[in-house]
Amino acid sequence: MKYFQYRKTWLLMLTVVTFLVLAACSSDDANSNADGGEEPDKITAWAWDPHFNIAALEIAKEAYSEDINLEIIENAQDDIVQKLNTGLSSGSMKGMPNIVLIEDQRAQSFLQSYPDAFYPIGEYFNTDDFANYKLAPTSLDGKQYGLPFDTGVTGLFFRTDYLQEAGYTMEDLTNITWQEYIEIGKDVKAKTGKDMISLDPNDLGLIRVMIQSAGSWYVEEDGETVNLVDNEPLRKAFENYKAMIEADFVKANSDWSQFIAAFNSGDVATVPSGNWIAPSIEAEESQAGKWAVAPIPRLNMDGAVNASNQGGSSFYVLDIPGKEKAAEFLADTFGSNSDFYQDLVLDVGALGTYSPAADGEAYQAENDYFSGQTVISDFSAWTEEIPSVNYGLHTYAIEDILAAEMQNYLKGKDLDKVLADAQAQAESQLK
Amino acid sequence: MRKFKRIATYTFLSIAALVSIFPFLWMLVSMTNKSVDVTKGRLLPGTHLFENFKVLFESVDMLTALVNSTIIAVITTFLTLLIGSLAGYGFEIYRSPGKDRIFNILLLSMMIPFAAIMIPLYRLFGGISSSMPFLGIDTLAAAILPTIITAFFIFFFRQNTKMFAKDLVEAGRIDGLSELGIFFRIYLPTMKTTYAAAAIIAFMNSWNNYLWPLVVLQSPENQTIPLLISNLGAGYSPDYGVIMAAIVIATLPTAIVFFIMQKHFVEGMMGSVKG
Repeated sequence: MKYFQYRKTWLLMLTVVTFLVLAACSSDDANSNADGGEEPDKITAWAWDPHFNIAALEIAKEAYSEDINLEIIENAQDDIVQKLNTGLSSGSMKGMPNIVLIEDQRAQSFLQSYPDAFYPIGEYFNTDDFANYKLAPTSLDGKQYGLPFDTGVTGLFFRTDYLQEAGYTMEDLTNITWQEYIEIGKDVKAKTGKDMISLDPNDLGLIRVMIQSAGSWYVEEDGETVNLVDNEPLRKAFENYKAMIEADFVKANSDWSQFIAAFNSGDVATVPSGNWIAPSIEAEESQAGKWAVAPIPRLNMDGAVNASNQGGSSFYVLDIPGKEKAAEFLADTFGSNSDFYQDLVLDVGALGTYSPAADGEAYQAENDYFSGQTVISDFSAWTEEIPSVNYGLHTYAIEDILAAEMQNYLKGKDLDKVLADAQAQAESQLK
Repeated sequence: MRKFKRIATYTFLSIAALVSIFPFLWMLVSMTNKSVDVTKGRLLPGTHLFENFKVLFESVDMLTALVNSTIIAVITTFLTLLIGSLAGYGFEIYRSPGKDRIFNILLLSMMIPFAAIMIPLYRLFGGISSSMPFLGIDTLAAAILPTIITAFFIFFFRQNTKMFAKDLVEAGRIDGLSELGIFFRIYLPTMKTTYAAAAIIAFMNSWNNYLWPLVVLQSPENQTIPLLISNLGAGYSPDYGVIMAAIVIATLPTAIVFFIMQKHFVEGMMGSVKG
C-alpha cells in the first residue's frame, strides 16, 4: 500500500512538472504578437567595437537628414550572436533591437534559421551601388535583408625595411602567388632572421582568404552542400599552409593579443589580413613609415585573383515595430550618402562597400604611416575584384572540423584522406 | 636531513604560491602599462596607470555598471541565503512523506546546464514583460529572479543543518516560540559560519554571472560589470591596459567580501564536508 502511495506521488509530481514546463513554453504567443502595432519612440541598434562600428553609427546619426531618436547599444560580437539566438529562438521579440550588425559569414544562419524575424529592406536602397560580393551573404531567396557595411578586403601588410634588407621591393610583392610568397618568406628569414607571418593554429582565417580569392568556399553555391574533398582551391590552400609551417617562418600565436603583439613588437615581416587590422598596426608609432600594403597573394590556379575578403559585416532590420523608421535611416545614410562615406573613412577609417563613394576626396588621401601610399584607394580598388561566394550556414562549424584535420595533415596524414575525413565528419554533423 | 626536507617543502610551496599569485600580479602590472606593452608581455610596472583609468572612465560608464552589479549581487545573496536556508532547514528538521524524493529531484536539477533552460526562461520573461514590465526583460529583477533558488544552496544548508542540535528546536517549542521564531532566533544565530560561507559563494556567483544577465539585460543603463568588460575586449584593436584596469576594479569587491569573511568561510566549508 505504501509503495503504491509513493508511486502515486511520483506520478503526480511528474505531471505537475511536465505541465509547468509546457505552460512556460507555450504561454505567451498571444502576448508577443499583441504588441505588434505600436510605434516605439526610439530606435535601438546593436553593434560592436566603439572605435569602428559604433563610431560609424554615431556619424550616421548626425548625417541623417531627419530627426531620429537612435539609441546605439554596444555589445561584443559574440554577445550579440548569443543574445539574438536566445531572443529569436524563444519566439519572444521582447528586448530585441530594431537594427543589428551581423558579420557576413554568420548572416545566412540567422536569415535561414529565423526567416520571419528580419525585415526585407531591398526596396529602400539600390543594391547595384554595392560591391557584388556583399549581396549574396546579405540576401535570401531573392530578398535583400542586409544593408552592406564595411568591407573586409584583404591586403598584404609588410615591413618595407625587412623586405628591403632581403632585397625585395613593393613590385616584387605585387600580384604574386602564395608559392612566390613562401619563397620570399624563406629568403627573408634567411637574410633578416625575422619570421614572415604569425598564425593561430586554431584559426583558419588565412585558408578562407586563400579559397575566396579563387571564388570557392567550404560549401557549394547552394550554401549547404559541404564542399571539401573535391575542392581544388582548398587543397591548394592546405598545401600552402603546410609549406609555410615547414618553411619555419611562422610565429605561432594563440589569441588575438599575441597576434597583435607579433607585428607590434617587430617579430614578423608581413601580415596578410583584412583592412581593419590597419589601426592595430598604426598603434605602434615607432614603426611609422616602415609599412606598406600590397595586394593579397593569390592561389596558383586559373580564376584566382589578387583580392579576397576577411570579416566585414552588414546591418539588418528586425521585423518589429519601428522597422520602417529603421530602414529609412539606414537607406538614407549607409545606403546612399556619398559624403557620409568620406567622413567614415576620415574619422573612423571604416571602408564601406558603397561604390559611388570611391570617387570622393577622402578615398584618394595619402597615408603618412604607410609612407604616403594611397591605402584607402588601393583597398577600394581591390574590393571591386573580390569574388562573390555563398558563405552558407556552417562556416564556423566546418572550420572547427578542418582545424583539427589540419593538425593531422601537418603531422603527416595524407591530404586526400584529410579532406575526405573532414568531408565525412562535416556531412554527418550537419545533417 | 630534516633541514633538507624543510627547504624542499618551502621551495615547493613558494613555487606553488608564485604560480597561483602570478595572474594577479600580471593583472596589477598590466594595468599600469600601455596596451602595446601588455601584448608584448612586459612584466615591469609602467607609467600609464592614470592614463588607463582616465580612458576607462571616459569611454564607459563604469559607475553605473558597478552600482548595477552591487544591487544584483547583494539582493541575490540575501534572497538566496534566505530561501536556501529555509528550504534546507525544512528538509532536515521536518518529517514529511516523500521529502527525500523531492530532494533528489531537486538535486537532479543541478545537472541541467543553464544554457538548456535559457531559451524557455527568456520566453517566460518575455511573456511577463507585457503584464508586469517591472519584472520583465531588461530589468534588474529579471536578472535576479531565476538565480535566487538553486538546488546547490538548499543542499548546502541541508548538509550543514545535520550538525545543528535538534534538541534546540524542541526546547524552543516548549518555551513557546513559533516555528519561524525558532528558525530566526535559534537556528540562524547558531549557523553563522554556514551563512558566511554561503554568502561568499552566492555573492561571487552573482557578481561574476555572465550568461543570463547578458541575455536578459539590454540597455546600457542596466549593464553589469562582466558585460562591460566583455565589451571592452570586443573591438578590432582592444586596449589591454584599460581592460586590465577594469578587471582590477571588478575583482576588488569579491576580494574584499572574501577577506572579511575568510575565517567563517573556511569553518563553514569544513562543516559542510564533515556533515
